[in-house]
Amino acid sequence: MRLSGTDRSRRLLTAGAGIVFAAVMSLVLIIGFRLATEIRASVGALQRASELETYPSVVSEQLTALRERLDTLEYTGHVHAELAGSIRGFNRDLAALERQPGLDPAAMHAAAALWRSYAGVLTPVLAYDGEPYSDTATTSSLSRSGRVFYAHVRRAELFAQTHAAALHRQLATVSASLQAGTAAAAARLRLLLSGGVLAVLLLGLAAAYLQLARSRGERAAREAQEQTRDILATVREGFFLLDADYRIGAVWSQALTHMFARQDFAGLSFEELLRDKVPPETLATATKFIKLLWGERAHENLMKSINPLGQLEVSMDNGRGGKETRYLQFDFHRVMGPKGIKHVLCAVGDITSSVLLSRELHEAQENAHSQLDMMVGMLHSDPLQIGAFLDSASAGLKHINAILKEPARNHAEFSKKLAGLARELHSLKGEASALNLMSIAQRVHHLEDMVAELKGRSELTGNDFLPLVLKLDELLAHLRGVREMTLRLSSLKGGTPAPEGTLSTPILRLGANGPEELASTLHSLARKLAQDHGKDFMLTLNGLADCPRAYLPTVKDCLIQMLRNAAVHGIEPDAVRRAGAKSGTGQVRVDFRRVESGYEMLFEDDGAGLLPEALKEAAVRRNILTPQQAAQLDNRATLALIFKPGFSTRTEVSMDAGRGAGMDVVAKAVYGLGGKIGVSTNPGRYTRFKIALPAASETAVA
Amino acid sequence: MLREEELKTFVDGTTRYFEVAAQQPATIGSPYLLEGEPAMHDYTGMINISGKREGVVYFTAPRAMLTVLLMKMQESDFSHESMRDLVGEVANTISGNARRDFGHDFVISVPSVFAGEKPQLAQPSGARAFVIPIHWRSHSAKLVVSLT
Repeated sequence: MRLSGTDRSRRLLTAGAGIVFAAVMSLVLIIGFRLATEIRASVGALQRASELETYPSVVSEQLTALRERLDTLEYTGHVHAELAGSIRGFNRDLAALERQPGLDPAAMHAAAALWRSYAGVLTPVLAYDGEPYSDTATTSSLSRSGRVFYAHVRRAELFAQTHAAALHRQLATVSASLQAGTAAAAARLRLLLSGGVLAVLLLGLAAAYLQLARSRGERAAREAQEQTRDILATVREGFFLLDADYRIGAVWSQALTHMFARQDFAGLSFEELLRDKVPPETLATATKFIKLLWGERAHENLMKSINPLGQLEVSMDNGRGGKETRYLQFDFHRVMGPKGIKHVLCAVGDITSSVLLSRELHEAQENAHSQLDMMVGMLHSDPLQIGAFLDSASAGLKHINAILKEPARNHAEFSKKLAGLARELHSLKGEASALNLMSIAQRVHHLEDMVAELKGRSELTGNDFLPLVLKLDELLAHLRGVREMTLRLSSLKGGTPAPEGTLSTPILRLGANGPEELASTLHSLARKLAQDHGKDFMLTLNGLADCPRAYLPTVKDCLIQMLRNAAVHGIEPDAVRRAGAKSGTGQVRVDFRRVESGYEMLFEDDGAGLLPEALKEAAVRRNILTPQQAAQLDNRATLALIFKPGFSTRTEVSMDAGRGAGMDVVAKAVYGLGGKIGVSTNPGRYTRFKIALPAASETAVA
Repeated sequence: MLREEELKTFVDGTTRYFEVAAQQPATIGSPYLLEGEPAMHDYTGMINISGKREGVVYFTAPRAMLTVLLMKMQESDFSHESMRDLVGEVANTISGNARRDFGHDFVISVPSVFAGEKPQLAQPSGARAFVIPIHWRSHSAKLVVSLT
């Protein structure tokens, strides 16, 4: 837990006050102990001094009692012993008192000197241990030693009577000095105790103040905590902190529980949070990004711009045992500390509604744009021509549906469908482009993308075709819309409305207006291609009027594809043409004529021609040939590569080229009529296709 | 327009039935769009859907397939009623899967069962039907989804 500056100061103050309190109390106790010991010793000494004060008179009285007993010839032994005890006691107490510090040294010295003068008279008294009396049968009297003893006693009595008062005074002075010392010590102790009590009081007040401040701080912290809890419980975004191990911290907003359908997040790693909710690749990317966030070198704004979790599609339990798709927006902010990045704050928003809404809006806009484009395209085209295209498209889609309907249970059978689908779609796109119906062409292009993607898969099942059939349905619905619009336009123009065809019942036949319509379509397509690809070329059509109606749809398909190829691959950009000493305007020429065996169509452009080495390289690149096979091909076989399905020299797919389906469509269409197709070229000069078709009557064409 | 996830929900409901009931999953064939009259097999279990989407979803299977399915389910009664009950159960599983995935967005009817007779289809106008062949062992049935 991190402490604020105020909290830290408060804690320091509390610790300081505690230390001061302990120090003061220790000092008071130590000094108090010493003073108490001193007072105790002084009191002992005082007692001893008081006792000493009584000794002079006691000794004097004992000497008088001893003398009186000698006068009356009574037994003196016990009085003599008591005197000896008093003298011993006096000596002991005086010696002890002399060791006591704080005495008045002069008084003590005088008392000791005076007592020492007692010794001269007392010593002979105390030293006597004989029998002072001599008894006869009738009388008793002092013995000779008794008389000497008596004289000593009498002398000592007189000495004591003379000096007892002085000795007492000296001892009283000593007592007084001791008393004064004890009183001073007691006063110091009182002062000390008062000081200690005052210090404790002050420290108590300080502790109370600090406690009060702490309570205030804690209350504020509790309130702040409560507010944070309320915010986290109410906010609609999911908030949490990630630590350096990419794990979620102990605090998070309640919204997360709804977003991720779980209750506990503390300690959960970011990877665990998203596992099973996003595909493994997305999870790997997300984890990498999170790691990058901890790199201090990476600029935060730059990181934001490359955030792969800005709109993350997640699969969540829907609470009914199923899954639902939701969109989450993750935003990351670094939380910096003194030593660098401390945490990463993650804000998560559920943007499902806005994503779906914007998707719907986008689709609506797209639809509006495509309808407008379609309308513009249709206004520039003949309604009958569009009607014919729609019928052709319906027939094409019917064929596509028939391909899909063919039973398939394994990869090979599913894979086989894809080539046929690609051909049909490419042909359909070519026709739509020729009529400038770009909304249709784009939809078909998208379908082609899906087919191309499926071609690349190593294992195919029916599930893989579900998106395709849905797109096909969408395309059919779009074609229905186009047809309805055509009918409305026709009625606006006052023409005969073209009746509605269906997937199964095409009504208008392609080429209803014959070769003129075909010529018009091709010229229109040529203009569009020239504009789209920045090429300048002129299309010349000869003899199309000789084309039998039965061949018109196939001829149209072939010419559309060849014209697109010529525009994309053949005709060079203006600068290249001029550098090659050619005219800036390219020439594309179609000659259709009747011949003995039937019909012949020549298609020629004066463009770059076909480069055998480039064709071989493309075939190897697209895995149509191995490098060894390519090396062994002769010129003729090399040129024939362009009719292989999936062959294209382009590395990128565009609306007009790159799928490798164009010339495949042409060849299949020609072979379908029992015809032949050949190609010749002069690199840098021209490419020429020669198509031979049998007489129309010999072939049944639908 | 029907979405891929919605179509998958119905497909999964069907294949799951085979996996759970007969311990052998069914696979799906190449899906296509229905043209003309719907092709019915001997027994059909159908649910009507309203709400966010309108239309019908039905599972139609030949008697031979249902017989083998009953055998695999250790059933010994191969009567007409058992067959009817079986396609009804498949339709019920499809319905359960849809309820699980779509919740209250879809209002799903109790399954109705048809045998032999041509069912009255409440197919919505403008909706094209998706046919998804359901392959199980050597037999094939169809799941038809027609929703706007």
